[in-house]
Amino acid sequence: MTRGTRLHYLSMAGLVVVVVGGIALLFATAPEAITRDRMLVVPGAWQRFLAAFALAVAGVAGTAYLYGLATRPLRAPRYAVTAGTHVFIWLVIGAVFYPVVYLLSVSLNRNDTLAGSLPSTGNLLVRAGVMPNPADFSTSQFAKIVSQTHVLGYQWLLVGSMLLAVVVLVASFALPRLGATNARADRLRGYAGWAVFVSAAVLVLSIQPGQFYGVRESDGARLPASIGGMVPLYIRNTLLVSGVTGVMAVLLSTTAGYAFSRLRFQGRYSTLLAFVFVQMFPTFMALVAIFYLMSRLDLLNTFTGLILAYSGGAIAFSSWIFKGYLDSLSPSLEEAAMVDGATRWGSFWRVILPISVPMLLFIFLQQFIGTYSEFILANTILVGQDLWTVGVGLRNFSTNQFATQWGAMAAAAVLGSVPILVIFYSFQNALTGQFTAGSVKG
Amino acid sequence: MDISRSLKDHLPRSRTTVGGLAKSLGLLTAALFLATLVGFLGAALLRLLVPEAPAYAGIPIAAAALVLMLRYLARRFAWLIPWYYLLPAIVFLLTFTVFPVVLTVFLAFTDYAGIRNGELNISSETPVLAVDGVNLTIADPATLDCADLRDGCNGVRAVVYASGMETVGAESIDGTRLVIAGPLPAGRDVIGVELDLPDLGFPFSFRVTSVDGNVLTLERAPPSPPDLTEVRVQLDRAAISRRIVAEAGDRLELDEPLPEGVEPTAIARYNDFGFVGLRNFSRVIASAPRALIPVFLWNVSFGFLTVLINTAVGVLIAVLLNNKALRFRNLYRTLLIVPWALPSVITIQVWRGFLNQNFGAINRVLALLDISPAPINWLAGDPAAARAAILVVNLWLGLPFIMTATLGALSAIPDEIYEAARIDGASVWQGFWNVTGPLLRTALIPITLSSFAFNFNNFNVVFLLTDGGPPVSWGTATARGTDILISWAYNEAFRSQGGYAYGFGSAISLLIFVITLAVSLMNFKVTGALKEEGARA
Repeated sequence: MTRGTRLHYLSMAGLVVVVVGGIALLFATAPEAITRDRMLVVPGAWQRFLAAFALAVAGVAGTAYLYGLATRPLRAPRYAVTAGTHVFIWLVIGAVFYPVVYLLSVSLNRNDTLAGSLPSTGNLLVRAGVMPNPADFSTSQFAKIVSQTHVLGYQWLLVGSMLLAVVVLVASFALPRLGATNARADRLRGYAGWAVFVSAAVLVLSIQPGQFYGVRESDGARLPASIGGMVPLYIRNTLLVSGVTGVMAVLLSTTAGYAFSRLRFQGRYSTLLAFVFVQMFPTFMALVAIFYLMSRLDLLNTFTGLILAYSGGAIAFSSWIFKGYLDSLSPSLEEAAMVDGATRWGSFWRVILPISVPMLLFIFLQQFIGTYSEFILANTILVGQDLWTVGVGLRNFSTNQFATQWGAMAAAAVLGSVPILVIFYSFQNALTGQFTAGSVKG
Repeated sequence: MDISRSLKDHLPRSRTTVGGLAKSLGLLTAALFLATLVGFLGAALLRLLVPEAPAYAGIPIAAAALVLMLRYLARRFAWLIPWYYLLPAIVFLLTFTVFPVVLTVFLAFTDYAGIRNGELNISSETPVLAVDGVNLTIADPATLDCADLRDGCNGVRAVVYASGMETVGAESIDGTRLVIAGPLPAGRDVIGVELDLPDLGFPFSFRVTSVDGNVLTLERAPPSPPDLTEVRVQLDRAAISRRIVAEAGDRLELDEPLPEGVEPTAIARYNDFGFVGLRNFSRVIASAPRALIPVFLWNVSFGFLTVLINTAVGVLIAVLLNNKALRFRNLYRTLLIVPWALPSVITIQVWRGFLNQNFGAINRVLALLDISPAPINWLAGDPAAARAAILVVNLWLGLPFIMTATLGALSAIPDEIYEAARIDGASVWQGFWNVTGPLLRTALIPITLSSFAFNFNNFNVVFLLTDGGPPVSWGTATARGTDILISWAYNEAFRSQGGYAYGFGSAISLLIFVITLAVSLMNFKVTGALKEEGARA
């Protein structure tokens, strides 16, 4: 170790001591918290917080710089920038995640209302009410929501087979490391994926509104389910509507996308343009007209009506995406099939569709996620409480501001978000990759 | 003799003639029209057989008819087949997108509203006191409520109800079979008869179970022989459609006299709506100082500000994450994407709780850090606070999209360019400003434009977070502090007091469509998304 590097390491140690000591001093000398407007206030805390943050960034960056000088001097500035970036990004992650963590902890808390007086014990964050009191940890909010759902025997079987398929699916990713061939693991993954999809679909279709009721303890009589008790039904309704809409989007857009990409006929380009321009009139701007149309077709307050309205809005975007995908495929495969005697339709059905499965899955998921978050059409078309979707049902929690049960609502929000969260992260690259080339967000 | 010509004549014509756009669309339209007709007729027929059949039963009937017709057409005109691939999509687009759009345009020129929805208004039924040809005297003009309509009751469809007794003679009675002398009134059901029973000294009512010509079957036989000279037949309530052509106080004039022998008992009107020309649009203009202008200004500034803020923060984070020396960058990216992975319809409503004035987490954090001197009423107090809340929530929601899109654009910049710049002696900063900057700007234009178009109509965030509120002194009941054009239209169409003004809402929708179209066209022009297409077709 040269004298120069030893000096660098020494100053690194010094810097760490100064930064850690400085931050500790900033917090230790902070004034006592006072109560103002029923909220806990640490006077002047934001200046201390900012100073501590600046110290942390500077300290980490400085330490990295010195480390860089000691090891690879030319890279020292880059080390400093990178290390400072880490600290900054963690602050951003903290800000982005705070609502998520807070929501999760409220859902896992015994307290239903957040309006009660602040706890007097615990650390500063708990006393300030910035985080729910961990001493009140409880799963009772979730229990309240699922307690009025009465699952039938065969539905437990479906749940079991779905979980089993998920386990197989996860395990299949580890198979190549255990010596199985990739092709085998892929095949297994395909089967498991279908098993998950089919059992989930059958489960969603089999659940009926009649399975949601409360039971009076004294005599076992059935009572109508509470707002919270209906949430699993709302989730089921949303999954049903979104799933069927996704399937409709795939069914309606594949042939159209194929025709736009592969067939040559007069009027092709003008029809394509018409598709794109029609799409610019968002469905909900024609809300009044859709309402009128559905009432004329006796489809108000039905899933069918809602699904048809959604599907109409889904076609142009999906066809456009599928056309783009086919444009990027070489036509040689179909040409080969047609030379071998396949018809147009045959080459579409036997050649194009099988190789497009990933793209069709993408179109399905894209539509599924979009539909899951739709509010206004569902709110207008679905009147009956049994048919509500998650978004509409949750609205029922929060519009009644004085009686809002925040704990139950948080649990409902968490449960309602899980399906989309799982799907999104399972297919993260496919779902976000679409937008990295600067295409239009749907 | 020209050999080539005769050869051409021998080729099958229909298979080689290439159909033009107009021809193809004409054939398809005809097929669709016929199928729709079959669907309507089928549904009507089905309703005759099964009265409770729903209206949408016509859809599968029409579909079956369409398939048969298309099979025939394909055999005759082979060039039509490419259109078959498009047909399902076109039919859906026409029914559930194009038709509603056309209907919206149509409604924008009418006074269609909740109280003028084209349906029969049952609660407007008022007794008819006297009739004289086409003139009726009604009991209560206030119940008929002509003031709600565009031009009073003039030209409005109405239903005149007649029910009651008709005295006829009978020929004979045998047990429960009563034979009436003359024909019964046409088109009206006989529900009962009243017979005088001289032995008992008072009239008796009998329900009629079936009618066959002039033979009525009574529910039970009369206990003693009735007087057959005067039989009072009780008829069901008939509804006779007429149009009111003039009204003055309690006197109405109908377009046609009522049928012979009908005694009107009551009249009810339809909630008729009709064309009002440009009145909805002039109302939009007239509302400009208090609704259109403030709402439009906030709508545009909301779109700009939210895109500006999201892009600034998103690009900053993306540039930081694009540093290849940064460890865990994929983990960071995956973590930061979480607001995108959660359904916004849920998270926006959860944010309402965070932003609660008295116990929301946001105000508690602000208090703990001593940032705000007093708890801020985010959602229902100062409009500026509500607007800030919308921008903050929209930043949280939209950050992952801009970040991901920017990262994609950044990763598309090849390393060789930086390499070349470095060899030419450029510093890291120069490389960033002169290489990344210009390339990023080109990539960001379509992203920000589509983001603007999306946020310009971001109904969900406004409706679910602030519900358009708080009310402001410069606005109206339907155009409040954070209302954007689309939520204003929604309020007018579905929530305004004094009747849901669908027509007015439709007029605003058209205005929004024009603006959205302009932004999207600009986007297409910039990206050239459709250009290459045109060259190839």
